[in-house]
Amino acid sequence: MTYLFDINMVRLLEYQGKQILRKCGIAIPAGRIGSNPDEAEQIASELNKPVVVKAQVWSTGRGKAGGIKFAYSKEETRRTAENLLGSEIKGFKVEKVLVEEKLDIDREFYIGVIVDDSYKVRSPVVIFSTRGGVDIEEVSRETPEKIARMNVDIFQGLKLYDAYYLLKSLNVESGLLRPLGEVICGVYDLFRKYDARSIEINPLILTKNGEIFAADCRFVIDDSSVPRHPELGISIARDSDKPLSGLEEIAWTIEEGDYRGVSFFAQLAPETGKEGYIGYHGIGGGGAILGVDALERQGLRIADYADTSGNPTASKVYRIVKTIFAQKNIVGYFLAGFCVANQEQWHHAHGIVKALREELKDRKGFPVVLVLAGNKEEESLQILKEGLEDLPIRLEVYGREHVYDTDFVAGRMKTLVDEYLSERRE
Amino acid sequence: MAYEFNERTIKIIIDRRRCSECRTKACVKACSLYDRGILMIREGVPVLREGADAEREGTECLACEEECRLRGFNALKIEAPIAGLEEYKKAHGV
Repeated sequence: MTYLFDINMVRLLEYQGKQILRKCGIAIPAGRIGSNPDEAEQIASELNKPVVVKAQVWSTGRGKAGGIKFAYSKEETRRTAENLLGSEIKGFKVEKVLVEEKLDIDREFYIGVIVDDSYKVRSPVVIFSTRGGVDIEEVSRETPEKIARMNVDIFQGLKLYDAYYLLKSLNVESGLLRPLGEVICGVYDLFRKYDARSIEINPLILTKNGEIFAADCRFVIDDSSVPRHPELGISIARDSDKPLSGLEEIAWTIEEGDYRGVSFFAQLAPETGKEGYIGYHGIGGGGAILGVDALERQGLRIADYADTSGNPTASKVYRIVKTIFAQKNIVGYFLAGFCVANQEQWHHAHGIVKALREELKDRKGFPVVLVLAGNKEEESLQILKEGLEDLPIRLEVYGREHVYDTDFVAGRMKTLVDEYLSERRE
Repeated sequence: MAYEFNERTIKIIIDRRRCSECRTKACVKACSLYDRGILMIREGVPVLREGADAEREGTECLACEEECRLRGFNALKIEAPIAGLEEYKKAHGV
């Protein structure tokens, strides 16, 4: 099979989204992607007109952050690409630039299709605004009268007359109803065809020649639907606000194809950052987040967010702990089981004991705070204590008596980390 | 000669020369308590229960290794590899 992309996330970059738009008949500006200044110059030369050079990173506000520049000659395009490529825009390294013709803009619109999963709606929602080119949230705050939305019954679909109705509610003039209506219906059809979670075009441009172009595109595939779209070449069916790091890709292999419980791992600190972070291992989403907040209140930063829930195997827990310890910058390990789970916790205990025995046998004084509560709690705490007691570490183990006392436990982590760092300085 | 078998993603390796001296047979007890009892004792040493399909039935509980270390003769090791992790650690100086 020929894949449209080769990517490790469900969020497409602008140029990838635009490829889909073009295949489905929605006009995009002439141009293409370049990975080096030579290619950027070549594209500008072929277009032979003023261009816009756009950093391809998954972040909003690229323009304000300096990621979108105009260039009026092939030499200027080259210089602009040189400056952008390799730079960082909002924390993302720019590896590609999109070089496109500069459009002669008359008006800018916004079109988006999202999912509203609230109980009363539970359907795709089409959003259109006559004020494009700025954050739609800003438009909503400042000029709500310029936004219209429509819930779509997926069995009926979105008809052209629905789009007309939406546009008329914003007093869009008659001459634009058909071209804009066709784009709205086209975006909705794409949303359904690709099982998207959201598609946004901002801005949708009306040129002075009366043509309509998608000048930007944010396209997110629903991670649950990735197996239905092998043609896209998405290797990791997980939503993320950034491309996955090397360690996250490794962690994904633990999860991939093994549905025995969840083992989530997201790397939050830079891979080469200075040390001082906590290796974070939560159990259960909500409770685990409480632990993150509590550590933050103590002034501690977490290197990662890991979560093993839903009755995972001990081997899965073991592998996640090993992954956490593959981060160079951690000075403590925190198991945040801030929930009384109904899973048998001894599987967590065995996985953690095996991993910590391998990782910490030579790390004198390393701080380890463990909170584990729930089914088979007494036995599980005994496994942890007995299994780790001969390691040369700072170890504290808590059960349900502190399961709601995140500040106390985070405070203990802080104390142990301070002692450890002080000891190392001496 | 080590006795080995696989579960779905892990390998269990038992040095059975040590097992005949073991009085506790803690691995088998652990297997019965934490897993589905796929280990049994035959002629004084642990073996897979007759008819057991370890790759399908084994729950990868890891308990036998820890119990053998604590109460037996440290004769049982479990390999649970993570593809690419060692290379990553080397590359990042971990």
